[in-house]
Amino acid sequence: MKQIVQRLLQAVLVLFGVALLLFIMVRVIPGNPVAMMMGDHADPAAIERISHELGLDRPIHEQFFIYLRNVLRLDFGTSITLGRPVADLMTAAFPNTLKLAVCAAVFAWVTGIFCGIISAAYSNSFIDHLFMGISLLGLSMPVFLIAMVLQYVFAYHLHILPISGTDSWKSFILPAIALGWNCAGSVARLMRSSLLEVMEEDYIDTAYAKGRSHAGVLIFHALRNAFLPVVTMMAVQFSALISGAVITETVFSINGIGRLAAAAINGRDIPLLQGTVLFSTLAAVLGNLLADWLYLLLDPRITEAI
Amino acid sequence: MKKKMITVLAAVLLAGCGGKKEQGTSAAQSSVESGLLRGAVLCDITTMDVAETTDDYLIPMNIFERLFETRPDGEESKIENSLCKSYTVSEDGKTYDFEILGDVVFSNGNPLTASDVKYSFERLLTKGRQNTDIPLEVVGGEDLMNGKAESLAGFEVKDDTHFSVTLTAPNAGFIAELSSPCMSIVDEESTKNAGGFGKNPAEMIGSGPYTVKEWVSNDHYTLEYNPRYHGAEPSVKKVIMKVIPDAGTMNLMFQNGEIDLIDLGSLDSAVVESAYRTAWKDHIVSRPKVGLYFLAFNENNSYFKDVKVRQAIARAINVDDMITGIYNGDAKRENGIIPSGVLGYNKDLEPFAYDPSAAKKMLEEAGYKDGEIQFEFSMDSTMSSSQQLIYQSIARDLAAVGIKADIQTYDHTTWIDRRLGGKTDCYVGKWIMDYNDPANIMITFFGGESKANSRALNYPNIEIMDRVAKAPAILDEGQRIAEYQALEKQIVKEDAAWVPLVSELHLYCFGNRVKSFTPQWAGFGDFYVTDVVLG
Repeated sequence: MKQIVQRLLQAVLVLFGVALLLFIMVRVIPGNPVAMMMGDHADPAAIERISHELGLDRPIHEQFFIYLRNVLRLDFGTSITLGRPVADLMTAAFPNTLKLAVCAAVFAWVTGIFCGIISAAYSNSFIDHLFMGISLLGLSMPVFLIAMVLQYVFAYHLHILPISGTDSWKSFILPAIALGWNCAGSVARLMRSSLLEVMEEDYIDTAYAKGRSHAGVLIFHALRNAFLPVVTMMAVQFSALISGAVITETVFSINGIGRLAAAAINGRDIPLLQGTVLFSTLAAVLGNLLADWLYLLLDPRITEAI
Repeated sequence: MKKKMITVLAAVLLAGCGGKKEQGTSAAQSSVESGLLRGAVLCDITTMDVAETTDDYLIPMNIFERLFETRPDGEESKIENSLCKSYTVSEDGKTYDFEILGDVVFSNGNPLTASDVKYSFERLLTKGRQNTDIPLEVVGGEDLMNGKAESLAGFEVKDDTHFSVTLTAPNAGFIAELSSPCMSIVDEESTKNAGGFGKNPAEMIGSGPYTVKEWVSNDHYTLEYNPRYHGAEPSVKKVIMKVIPDAGTMNLMFQNGEIDLIDLGSLDSAVVESAYRTAWKDHIVSRPKVGLYFLAFNENNSYFKDVKVRQAIARAINVDDMITGIYNGDAKRENGIIPSGVLGYNKDLEPFAYDPSAAKKMLEEAGYKDGEIQFEFSMDSTMSSSQQLIYQSIARDLAAVGIKADIQTYDHTTWIDRRLGGKTDCYVGKWIMDYNDPANIMITFFGGESKANSRALNYPNIEIMDRVAKAPAILDEGQRIAEYQALEKQIVKEDAAWVPLVSELHLYCFGNRVKSFTPQWAGFGDFYVTDVVLG
């Protein structure tokens, strides 16, 4: 219980620190968000008037406390570029990002773990080289390239999946593969190396001595311990996926958190930027907490360490 | 780099498959409901309220009407009555008496009256931030905006269909200004009671041919035919505009028959050439963008203070090379400030001839050594690929005469900040006309010190700027145009404060479901849906 409270307090501190840093950073970098909002026809008098209306001419500490008070009420302000409350925009975008993240994670983990186990079981064989070659390709191919090829083959040529959008579950297949491809490569390589490392342990020899088959040893003795580093990676991957995938969401026209973040950065949209970055921080913090909890489940020996 | 890779890949992939395929054979095409037009835009709109935007005009143009509309007339344009039935102007040019159509109702059934017109004028000053210029010309506009008055004193409603507008000073371009999308007429009753006007589709009540059914932020918006519209029933009964932020995806969707109309200006020129120029050539329509690219000098810069440097630069730039090299001929050379296609365009104004030897000689005579002149050539990272190529082309031309133009790219916000603060040395600007009158561009850039400075021009000729500001009051059209042309000649030729470059053709391509399409008169990306006829 104590550890949990400690961890939660740490999480709150991290969130506060990020909020403060972000607040300072977006105000020290050059560029006037009001001028950006008003576009090409803006004149200096109008810019001054709007800055005053938005409270951007108040002392910075005053702005921070107003901002903090509003964040605690889940009021992130109104997006300058999209003209709507940030909370509404994020609420509308999050389900799409969540669906995409879950689909991508399922694809990445199922594929990655399967390829990793097979590669470890048949290490240094043709199939091992083949899977590791594919995983290297997954790691090295940029997402936009994978996305374009998938769109071209499955949507443009074969007409079996939509090019973009979020109209049906089918719409998420191509973006999930594009987004999960890279994660699958990482998981496969880590799963393989971790399994091979565990297979060198003494207790594995004992299992063989008891007459277990190679597959039996791999699945019933080695896999659980080999999973530990993979689980950490998966938790981190998931928190990254849930923070939004800018390129995938853009290429497949998915209204998600990543696209909001990109719009916020391009438009120096301070309220939206603060909202999306705080959300990503929260996702990262929760991802790490999840990893710790999964560690506990898989290996009770490390309870004390946590 | 990434963008280039995407472009090359898209071009290769599409060229490889032979470009056009039968849109009608795809699943996306066969299930489309009749009367539906599917379009796409790269960015979502921020608002549907003209008081809050100078860019997002597609919805206002189609759900509201204005007193006048500017329509294409061959290569030119003409101003037509829309809600206005007739009007007269007083001898001093300050008072306009209008009669509007009497049988027009809004989409909620309320009749459109002179009071709605007055409210629409007042609203731009009291609720809006962006389009205050035109109603500010009306007597009492300033007081209303500053909260010193409760209504627009110069706007008198006589009865439901008659009203008069008195301006603070004569402005011969006033009627043209009233055709600007920002002068849309809204329903006073429902708009006054609206809680989220501009954001909530249900509150967007206009008298135009369409109503807004829904707007899902960052995803799509839908327009539907307004059965109460007083004009002819349009071919398109419903429009779905999807937000497709990736140009490559938009291109594939068009090729796949998932959208019916594509703005080729959204795509890279390499993709247009490889995938559209040949296979879709019969489906491409174009309209000159009534506006231009220009080179703007900051005359606070120590080199650009010298008129000889500015004139030498104007001579050193090979504009014809840009037209062939960057635009494949889909652009034309501009010669002044008032772009071709606009009232007052001076076709006889001779631009500086491209002559690098003369330019070099001028610089030598002015006492500048080879390589001595260096400046920051500021670029906005969101500028179109063609605009970025213009920068490169000019930098190359200037290098040939011994001037180093150091291209510096800034993100959009920083760039605007630098321009407003007068920190840019020199940049390539672009202006598309809001309405067909030279005042629109002349006043914006040279209508006074603050206007010129906010464009980072810092043009020092106060006398000329005073004359520009006073020109709209010249009632005789011939004299007014002559004055604009004289001022234009002074600024462009004598002072060389502005180097006109090119105006582009805006290209669109329509799919197999569309029979014809007429772009907006000024080549805006936004268009009147009534100008699309489905097959």
